[in-house]
Amino acid sequence: MKLKNIVYPICLTFAVVITTPSFSQVPADSTAADSALLKQVEQQMQSNAQPAQQPQQTRSTLSFNPDIGVIGDFQGSYTSKGNKNFNAYLNETELSLQANVDPYARADFFLSFARDPETGKYSVDVEEGYLTTLSLPAQLQLKVGKFREAVGRINPTHPHALPFIDLPNAYVNYFGEEGLNDEGASLSWLIPNKKFYQEIVFQVTSGLSGSPTFFRGDNNRLIYLGHLKNFFTLSDNATLELGLTGITGPNDSSRTTSIAAADLTYKWKPVQMNTYRSVTWQSEFYYGHANLMENLSVNSFGLYSFIQYQLAKRWFLTGRYDYAQKPYDKDIVEQAYSLTGGWYATEFSKIELEGKTTDDNVAKRYYQAWLRWIFVIGAHGAHQY
Amino acid sequence: MAAMDICDRCTWRTPVLIKTLKDDNMKNKLIFFLISFLGLLTTVGAGTIKVVTTIPDLKSITELIGGDKVSVSSIATGYQNPHFVDPKPSYIIGLSKADLFVTVGLDLEIGWSPQLLASSRNTKIQKGAEGYVDASQGVGLLQVPSSANRAEGDIHIYGNPHYWLDPLNGKVIARNIANGLERVDPSNKSTYEANLQAFFKKVDVKMKDWQAKMAAFKGSKIIAYHNEWVYFETRFGLNIVDFMEPKPGIPPSPSQLVKVIKEIQANNIKVIISSPYFTTSSSDVVAKQTGVKELTLATSVGAFDSIKNYFDLFDYDIEQLTAILK
Repeated sequence: MKLKNIVYPICLTFAVVITTPSFSQVPADSTAADSALLKQVEQQMQSNAQPAQQPQQTRSTLSFNPDIGVIGDFQGSYTSKGNKNFNAYLNETELSLQANVDPYARADFFLSFARDPETGKYSVDVEEGYLTTLSLPAQLQLKVGKFREAVGRINPTHPHALPFIDLPNAYVNYFGEEGLNDEGASLSWLIPNKKFYQEIVFQVTSGLSGSPTFFRGDNNRLIYLGHLKNFFTLSDNATLELGLTGITGPNDSSRTTSIAAADLTYKWKPVQMNTYRSVTWQSEFYYGHANLMENLSVNSFGLYSFIQYQLAKRWFLTGRYDYAQKPYDKDIVEQAYSLTGGWYATEFSKIELEGKTTDDNVAKRYYQAWLRWIFVIGAHGAHQY
Repeated sequence: MAAMDICDRCTWRTPVLIKTLKDDNMKNKLIFFLISFLGLLTTVGAGTIKVVTTIPDLKSITELIGGDKVSVSSIATGYQNPHFVDPKPSYIIGLSKADLFVTVGLDLEIGWSPQLLASSRNTKIQKGAEGYVDASQGVGLLQVPSSANRAEGDIHIYGNPHYWLDPLNGKVIARNIANGLERVDPSNKSTYEANLQAFFKKVDVKMKDWQAKMAAFKGSKIIAYHNEWVYFETRFGLNIVDFMEPKPGIPPSPSQLVKVIKEIQANNIKVIISSPYFTTSSSDVVAKQTGVKELTLATSVGAFDSIKNYFDLFDYDIEQLTAILK
């Protein structure tokens, strides 16, 4: 009651205050000064009423079209296996379309025109297509659509941006050549840590896209992924990233497969000469637990580790080691060594040559080599650090 | 707004929580905790305006305009190439809390700042928001290309983005920054305006001094490593004959070095100017052949230890240049 007694007079006073100016607009007492002012206003109104000179209607070159880019990936390959040893092909043509949707979200589409290695025919696929929110509160960001999932460092990166041409064996064993790239939702939270960067990502996907590990059966089981990213600035020139990932979902036996992964990346890039010299040492470890049948579970392990050394502004050398147990039979073990030399002409084209030797304890050693030329036209977004 | 949301939640939840606590001591502790928490929130809110700039020159000008009302950090350092800053996630921490973001614009930072902004989850500083300042607004741009063609190297479709190297453009930058500060912090408008006027005055005073020093060298022919001096060149009447890079962003080629050597000999050119983030190997070759001097100038505040602010930048460059051109 007391509150009401106070609020009503305040509201009343406020109402009077805001309505008073509108009363004063009525010329109650027309003095000489007022009429002079009135004349001026009338004159002004008249001059405004005259057809003013039309402003030049130059059509703006701006448009709401998204940023469009096309990335070509031409490859030549050699393998010591089989009879058909040499090949040359336009491995992939990627079309990117990126723009803000409205003040609340942006959209990114990556359409891939790729050759089917089996049939040799081209097909179109949505490599990624997702919406990212820009305005969620509490440092949250939501992504929905089809996206490369947050497993460590290789999976979120488009293959053309990697410093080697083939993918690490362990990675392919678990996630396939296309990677874990599925449809669903992703929520990430920037942990309010002032000391170092920390981000938690939680993703739920349907499993429709298919990967060697996960399979959407005739039930409602989905794939769940959690990723913690920690990024430390060691000095102006050096950084360290440690990521931890856990994934669980249904496999093709309608049972559960879980994967634990860790990634560790050390980068040295001198701030002053960062376009001339850099060293990256990146490793990822995967541990899989696949429940394939009643009383049959396979625990498997795999890793890759590479060092990339930038020799000069345009020259890069990358050495990689792969170790991979087959997720369905851990007694089959692959080990591979590869070396890639890259010449980065500009930010928009690079040529790479890779040689690789693979040993496994079942088949005999074999050799592979690739040459690829990546070229970009149009807009090209920045890559992750 | 975020602080208010939290406060609303606190007042709504407090009685419910307190009812469940039988121990009076606990109740007191909880009230004390809540009060301290609310106090902490208000202290954070009442602090200085947090500004993140892309390059240190914008930081320096923001500090001169904002005075003690702002705390400013720059993503790039003064001795690194502003085209190629690595978008380290650690920069996102500062951006997520920033009230104002100041960028050079004209796509100078296209390779790194859009990605950082998108990851910052901070709506206040997104392009088009009140806390986003494009410092290039209103600058008279030079070298605006008539066509966008990457065969010409790293060209910028909106014009050459190194405009802060003309001190008079510093005034436009300062006006843009003051506008931004006044948008996010209207209560201190008079301070910002006063500081802005003081900045304008100091630019005018210093400008006379710099012009006087450079007057004797009007029309001096020089070679530059990268095409980033056009605003400086135009303001102070220099004549950059050619670049070490055959095209912007393309490293010096042997044929370009031959061309430059011939130009130096034909025009009796005294100096090749470069920046701290380019190697000197190609200039060394040319210097050996021709006897031309090499000079590393500062393109940004902080390029060298003695360059603490925007005025020091021109003091340094003009002192170095005049000494070598004599």
